[in-house]
Amino acid sequence: MTDDLKLPRRLLIGTALAAPATIARPARADGEVIVRTPGGAYDDVMRRHVYDPFTRETGIRVTVVAATAAKLIAMFRANNVELDLIDTGDAQLMTLEGMGALAPIAYDRWRWSKPEDVTSEVKLPYRVGNFTYATVLAYNRESFPGDNHPKSWADFWDAGRFPGPRMLADIASASVNLEFALLADGVPKDQLYPIDLDRALRSMSRIRPQIRRFWDTGALSAQMLSDREVVLGSIWNGRLQTLIDRNAPLAYTWNEHMIQVQALGIFKDARNVEGAQRLADFMMQPQVQAGYAKALIYGPTNERAFDLLTPDERARMPGGENSRRSGFYQNIVWWHENRERVTRAWSRWVLR
Amino acid sequence: MSAGSVALEAVTKRYGSEAVVAGVSLAIPEGEFFTLLGPSGSGKTTTLSMLAGFVVPDEGRVVMGGRDMTRVPPRGRGLGMVFQNYAIFPHLNVAENVAFPLTVRGAPKPEVTARVAEALAMVKLTGFEARYARQLSGGQQQRVALARAIVAHPKVVLMDEPLGALDKNLRYHMQVEIKEIQRRLGMTVIYVTHDQEEALTMSDRIAIMDRGRIAQLGPPREVYEKPDDSFVAAFLGEANLLRARRDGEVVRGPGGAVLATSAGTPPGGEALLFVRPEKVSVAAGLAEVLPNHLPGRVLHASFLGNIVRYAVEAGDGATVLCDAANGAGAVLHQPGDAVTLSWRAEDSRLLAG
Amino acid sequence: MPLGRLPAWLLLAPALVLLFGVFLMPIGWFLVSSLRELGTLADIREEMEAVLFSDTIGRVILNTNGIGAVVTLLVLLIGYPVSYALSRARGFAFTLILLCIVLPYFTSTIVRTYAWMVLLGRNGLINQVLLGLGLIGAPLDLLYNRTGVVIGMTYVLLPYMVLTLYAAMKAVDPRLLQAAEGMGASPGQVFRRVFMPLTLHGVVAGVLITFILAIGFFITPALMGGPADIMIAMLIEREVELTQNWPTAAMMTIVLLAVTLILYAVYSRYAEPGQGELQR
Repeated sequence: MTDDLKLPRRLLIGTALAAPATIARPARADGEVIVRTPGGAYDDVMRRHVYDPFTRETGIRVTVVAATAAKLIAMFRANNVELDLIDTGDAQLMTLEGMGALAPIAYDRWRWSKPEDVTSEVKLPYRVGNFTYATVLAYNRESFPGDNHPKSWADFWDAGRFPGPRMLADIASASVNLEFALLADGVPKDQLYPIDLDRALRSMSRIRPQIRRFWDTGALSAQMLSDREVVLGSIWNGRLQTLIDRNAPLAYTWNEHMIQVQALGIFKDARNVEGAQRLADFMMQPQVQAGYAKALIYGPTNERAFDLLTPDERARMPGGENSRRSGFYQNIVWWHENRERVTRAWSRWVLR
Repeated sequence: MSAGSVALEAVTKRYGSEAVVAGVSLAIPEGEFFTLLGPSGSGKTTTLSMLAGFVVPDEGRVVMGGRDMTRVPPRGRGLGMVFQNYAIFPHLNVAENVAFPLTVRGAPKPEVTARVAEALAMVKLTGFEARYARQLSGGQQQRVALARAIVAHPKVVLMDEPLGALDKNLRYHMQVEIKEIQRRLGMTVIYVTHDQEEALTMSDRIAIMDRGRIAQLGPPREVYEKPDDSFVAAFLGEANLLRARRDGEVVRGPGGAVLATSAGTPPGGEALLFVRPEKVSVAAGLAEVLPNHLPGRVLHASFLGNIVRYAVEAGDGATVLCDAANGAGAVLHQPGDAVTLSWRAEDSRLLAG
Repeated sequence: MPLGRLPAWLLLAPALVLLFGVFLMPIGWFLVSSLRELGTLADIREEMEAVLFSDTIGRVILNTNGIGAVVTLLVLLIGYPVSYALSRARGFAFTLILLCIVLPYFTSTIVRTYAWMVLLGRNGLINQVLLGLGLIGAPLDLLYNRTGVVIGMTYVLLPYMVLTLYAAMKAVDPRLLQAAEGMGASPGQVFRRVFMPLTLHGVVAGVLITFILAIGFFITPALMGGPADIMIAMLIEREVELTQNWPTAAMMTIVLLAVTLILYAVYSRYAEPGQGELQR
């Protein structure tokens, strides 16, 4: 869930560019933390499980704003940082980190959470994962009834056995499904990285005629599955679970799913760095994480939070037993280093 | 029936419940210069539109060259037209404008070239072929419109107030030229104007229209001198319309004077006695020059150069206008002078009151 | 002092300040700060050449122009008769036509796009009707390809063309048309030889404004297009958002801005009042 808000994001580009020209807002009291979030239903969940309890505990108000990656960069470059805490995909935070925009996470001063409880993969000097989400293989149960459904990405690539229009992620959704293309081509899960870009795109070319559309937003991917524009596709598990819970004839396999990380970072020039550090600390507590993870159907990053969930709930979540057995972590470092190359190659490939 | 003859047979056109043209009949022989004259709203433009084919009458027939044209669209009527605003196409030059009626009919190129040259020569615009309307004076635009109307040698040309936008001098020149061209080409012209002088100068016959009907139809001199009603009398030039009364064979005018009149006398009762100012003689004192005479007193004298116009109070509050030629040895009367007015019986008419 | 006496620049001042503040300044800042990253002018030139002559941008520029041209043509073909109807309509009919045309302005992009998805989707209304009538055997691909982009953009751009043409048509003196008819022209000839030439400057202006807007389109092709339907503005967004390669984005922006300004200069010549107006 790097960015679930693609549409407004586009509309915001103008604003992003205009950011340096806007007049600085009046100085804020320490009594407020401004958080960048993906927006939408996410904000409601976080307000209920995190922000309001945090305000009751500390007296610090939490304000949420939408901001695209470009806007965050523009803020930093123009020396006009308008928010404190950034809650976004870890890839974007990595870019900001590389620019020297972030302050270290003050693990040593945490009061509510214990740093040692946090999954080590997401506990990093300048960012800390606040949940995990997964990209899974979803299918329409009416098109593929009973047990006759695709169970791996190799099956997904087999249009002869499993006919019907499909979808995969577009580069505009932050990353394309190169990993799935390699899995379909027979590369083992533990040898995916460093990705062989040419091989992945060659594999991608084989399934392309079956691809109705590469989705760029979570909303679009959900829409296409529920409207039967496609009968197979890659999709974020939270988005899909919402449809399933509303009785859509959809299902998914945990096999070969990709785990991705949403993380927190703090602008080093923020007006309220201290408040942001405290909010991050507060958000990482087991019971807080269990609360919002349950609501969002995404996985907690505090190991202790799993203890607070029922086996049924854990089964639905990335990082739960199912997930650990069959999934793999997206290698964000590889993506960070190769994003520009992949984007260019992808643009060339889609235009071919 | 000759090709250039035009007739309207009891033609009526209504807009809503109002008849703007009510049962108009006309018969115009080939080669006639026929004018529809009337104030605005009298129905003359609607009548012309029915002749052109822009408006289909609700009742009656339009006949041209013996053929019923009532429902034939404009392009089937083969008419030449000059429009009030000239309607010169701004995107075409003079030659292309003039050629328009030929080219839409698919005339061969050499014929078009020859006819355009001929038409432009006729309106004295040779050399202006490549100009556009915005580069022409009002008079020149008018000539382009005229050339375009005659270029296809139509038997009948309709002209809707073609000189309305020109100044007086230019208008006079163009009147002469239009008349000249009409004679040379022998075409029937149906001309609409609200300018009585223009109508009198140019027309073979004039139809004076009033509220959708033809009030009177005849040659200029006849409608001017022998109006059938007070509307025609007052609309064409200056007219004295004196309150009069008919008692048996006797007509009494202002002050009870007994007057003789020519034909057109209505049966007894209230009437109006018509006489043109230029037909009234003014003599000093109480002379008895002609059979009809009225004593009066000069109220006002306007010196207009070639004529002097008097306003004379002639009893019972009636004011009579008289135009006296400022000829050799003419005597000027002064306001307050006692005078005698007189005219010939045949110059006056008794009209319905 | 009456408003009319104020000098023009004073009346324009608020608009100019706004334009400067929210458009010129940010875009200037963006271009300058992005290009400065590259170093010297020679570096900039080198990068410029690399960007402009790359395979990808070549195809995207082709896409952009191709989509722009097709959409402009369609908008003209649909817009001309609609504008004509509008210029002849009175009262309720006028209001109704106008409302239908400007309705896209009153709808949000998201609502509009979802409406199109409902209509054009594989299981959308159009396909269901055609399948139900037996006119087609399999659903037509009307969405997520070039067809979808063209349909969506045509709809959004129609008002610009219609309103431009409407102004030109309204300025045609109806007496000229009647005159042409009186001089023997058939209805077809009246249209071809008088009405069309007199509205031609409106056509040129409408085509230019539509094309200018079309080549800057972003949301519609992004939402309704297929993977290969990438237009220049989408590529710029990609460089800004995804790869964070602002210098490249700046170069593309300069290209788009330059093309737009050149076309606008041509447009302003044709949109000038008095062009093709009846001279009396």
